[in-house]
Amino acid sequence: MAASAGGFYFNSVAGAAFLAWATCLAASAAPASGDYTGSEACKACHEEIFNKFQKTPHYAVESDARRGWEHNSCESCHGPGAKHAESGDAAEIRQPAKLKAPETDRICLNCHLNTRTPVGRIAGGHAKDEIPCTTCHSIHEANGAKLVLHRPAEVNAQCSTCHTSQWASFQRPYKHRLPEGAMSCVDCHNPHGSFRPETMRYAFGNEPGCLNCHNDKRGPFTFEHAPMRMEGCTACHEPHGSANPRMLARHEQRLVCLECHANLPLLNQAGTIGGVPPAFHDLNSSRFRNCTVCHVKIHGSYVDRALMR
Amino acid sequence: MKILATILALLPVFAQDKPASASGAPLQKPPAEAASPAGEWLTGSIEIGDRVIPNIDGSFNTYRSVVNLGEGAKLFNADFTLRDPKHRFFDQADVRASDFGGEPYSSVRVDVRKEKVYRLTADYRNIAYFNFLPSYADPLLTQGVALNENSFDTHLSSTDVQLEILPGHWITPYLAFDHNTQFGRGITVFTTDVNEFPVATQYSNQTNNYRGGLRMDWSRYHFTLEQGGTTYKDDQGASEATANPGNNTAPFLGQTVFLNQLSELYRVRGDSYYTKGLFAASPVSWANISGQFVFSQPTTTTSYNAASNGNFYLSDAAEFFTTGQDILTADAKLPHTSASFNIEIRPFKRLRILEYWMTDRQHNASNALLTENLLLGGSPLTSAQLAADRLAVNYSQQEVDLLYDLLPWLTLKGGYRYQWGDSTVRAPVLTGLALESGNLTRHVGIGGFTLRLGQKLRVIADAEGTTSSEVYFRTSLQNYEKTHIRGTYDLSPSWRVTGDFSLLDNNNPDPSIRSDFSSKMESVSLFWLPKGGKLVNVLADYTRSSVRSDILYLVPQILSPADSSYRENGHTGTAAVSIKWFSFGGSFFKSSGSRPTAYYQPMIRVSVPVYKHMMWNAEWRYYGLNERFYSFENFRSNQLLASIRFFL
Repeated sequence: MAASAGGFYFNSVAGAAFLAWATCLAASAAPASGDYTGSEACKACHEEIFNKFQKTPHYAVESDARRGWEHNSCESCHGPGAKHAESGDAAEIRQPAKLKAPETDRICLNCHLNTRTPVGRIAGGHAKDEIPCTTCHSIHEANGAKLVLHRPAEVNAQCSTCHTSQWASFQRPYKHRLPEGAMSCVDCHNPHGSFRPETMRYAFGNEPGCLNCHNDKRGPFTFEHAPMRMEGCTACHEPHGSANPRMLARHEQRLVCLECHANLPLLNQAGTIGGVPPAFHDLNSSRFRNCTVCHVKIHGSYVDRALMR
Repeated sequence: MKILATILALLPVFAQDKPASASGAPLQKPPAEAASPAGEWLTGSIEIGDRVIPNIDGSFNTYRSVVNLGEGAKLFNADFTLRDPKHRFFDQADVRASDFGGEPYSSVRVDVRKEKVYRLTADYRNIAYFNFLPSYADPLLTQGVALNENSFDTHLSSTDVQLEILPGHWITPYLAFDHNTQFGRGITVFTTDVNEFPVATQYSNQTNNYRGGLRMDWSRYHFTLEQGGTTYKDDQGASEATANPGNNTAPFLGQTVFLNQLSELYRVRGDSYYTKGLFAASPVSWANISGQFVFSQPTTTTSYNAASNGNFYLSDAAEFFTTGQDILTADAKLPHTSASFNIEIRPFKRLRILEYWMTDRQHNASNALLTENLLLGGSPLTSAQLAADRLAVNYSQQEVDLLYDLLPWLTLKGGYRYQWGDSTVRAPVLTGLALESGNLTRHVGIGGFTLRLGQKLRVIADAEGTTSSEVYFRTSLQNYEKTHIRGTYDLSPSWRVTGDFSLLDNNNPDPSIRSDFSSKMESVSLFWLPKGGKLVNVLADYTRSSVRSDILYLVPQILSPADSSYRENGHTGTAAVSIKWFSFGGSFFKSSGSRPTAYYQPMIRVSVPVYKHMMWNAEWRYYGLNERFYSFENFRSNQLLASIRFFL
């Protein structure tokens, strides 16, 4: 335990030191320098792209003096373009979609960090800046692609191109209805980052995002079922899909329960929470094979400590 | 409805215009999109149609639990953008609606904005939430008795409205309101000491969330302060007006235990407020920091009334009784604090350092008073119980990751995560203890790499390994290794192959637990998009998955350990082939092991541009579920769909 605490202390000190170092060395924001040519010059050659760009929300950069890129919206992302305009050489201009992922993200996050989106706040790049923003967002909306996808089926198709094994789980019979286009991945996840594991969205301030829909499970219950709070829904359910009814992790419901509720009475040998099993239950009787027939309020009860009503 | 479907199905036959896509326009973008007859002020499309379901064979309730698509006329999609050229009340308004007309998930979103003045978004969703699975809920199923237990047929609706004032300015106030409801009916179980009775129930719960805040944006610094409040209520009633023999019809001590009449009502009222603060900054070009703090404190009050009569048994008194009444009042409070802090530093060109810290603390305290009035053998018996409960959970996490660009095409990752926490819960009565407590101590090593060879090959690999000295539950991750590798290779501009491999091994060697868990998933996908996929595109995916789980559990009636084993070997395939107007494919899932299951979902779709601004769609789908051990849940359904989509 001492070593653990020491590790925490070391990490905290190291983090604070880096922060202090960063702050001390902070220079004033250097204005973009270089040889800029202006958006009209870009439009002369890239008219089709520019026309599509005009219909996107990013076009606000072109006319908003406060953002500092008035009449230079193209170069706000592509960098100074005078040399490229003169030579026509593609190598003379920055192409964010072809940069390394963290460099691309840096360009986008310069404006968008902490921006509110329908799926939550933009806390950072995807997968620790390993997947650039441009993988999912088509900035110019070229070739029929969209800046932001809205329809669930489109979002799911986008996500499943990388997350193939997760998409395979949704082909199981008991799943959230993503293959039917009834939900999308971003109903539960914020691909821009979250302080919850698995980039889960959150609900009602700081509750797990599952409660956005399943708000009857929110409580606070008078009598809580501890795993609901401590390990979350995935302690018992496989939210992406399961071969078992109600997306349970096991084929028989009693085994989901008894795998935790199996500590020896009183001794609590393994130091885990779960208590003794229900010793008066006769599992030979089919009556006792489905625990939630009696313990119907398994997610938490307002009135009964045994979660029976 | 079938007439509508027939008309829709025959529509292409009457089409006289030359199909617009004969000119080679891509399938998904008919020329109407380019030249809107309504002009630039209004663009969009609307798709209406009809679904016919000739058959649902087998278990209708399982079909509704799993698929739940219905027949009839539908609005499948509407997508409009309005632009006001004079910018009087708005610059642009977007309206998107999908799946109305009895579909299980309907949604509409409206987004109206006037630059630098306001932005108003409204979102509405209606979800049919149905679940009735006999193998899950019916304890007598193995004896051939099918009961309606633990089912529900409810609707969830969610409305979110948000107004941003002065968006684009350095300070943006906003106000928002969310309203969520769930209502419907179902079957639940009224439980007594030696019998349980399936009874009708009604659900009604509602949550309102009000929030407002200020967002402050400068070029390098962003702050958000938000204050919110939530009110919620959760009502459930159960009733029975006729004689109900329950699940146990055999006499108990010479008497049958039955229910004649029941009236049961929960009434829960609660509210919460929360305060949220966010910040993000890029003080220098080589560092980003961000953080979040949230505090919320929900409180609830509960009342519960139940009145029943029949013939029941009270184990504590070893007596039968005919009338019972329960009255309960309770309160609960759950202060909940969360905070996180992130910093990303790039001190050198090749190095990134990511530091992440978070904490989550919850403390639930509650008390309840139950008064019970029984009529035992003709004489009344009154008892009262006072109960207090407690749940405290503290969880924290600290992580440092280093990412180093060893070569222009290779990034190495390494890191360390430390997770710790403690929890105290009320112990079950049988332990004889007042409280149980658990601790969490977990050290995780993190490694991985990202490989990029030009634009053609990308491989991302992540691995974690850990040893934990303390975990909360027997099934928690204790000593585990987790690996995830995914790669993409562009064989040519039109061919792409992707692969995905994930592995999780977890074990807890404690002699009283002996948990051994392994989950593995391998996936390979092939994409063929000649000429950008405008005319033909093919994608195919195959995934093999396996789960192996062994853990000791105590057989309750003999308190003797036995193995709980779970096995699942699954094969999943998905394919989609699209050739101009015609597409087909679908998916299958087939598993063996503890619950052998096969699930097939093939489909064929035709999309034909019939007039200048119209596209006709027809689709056939099949859903088939087969479960070897629970064949009473099998179902098969064919579905036909026809729709037309108009483009403005």
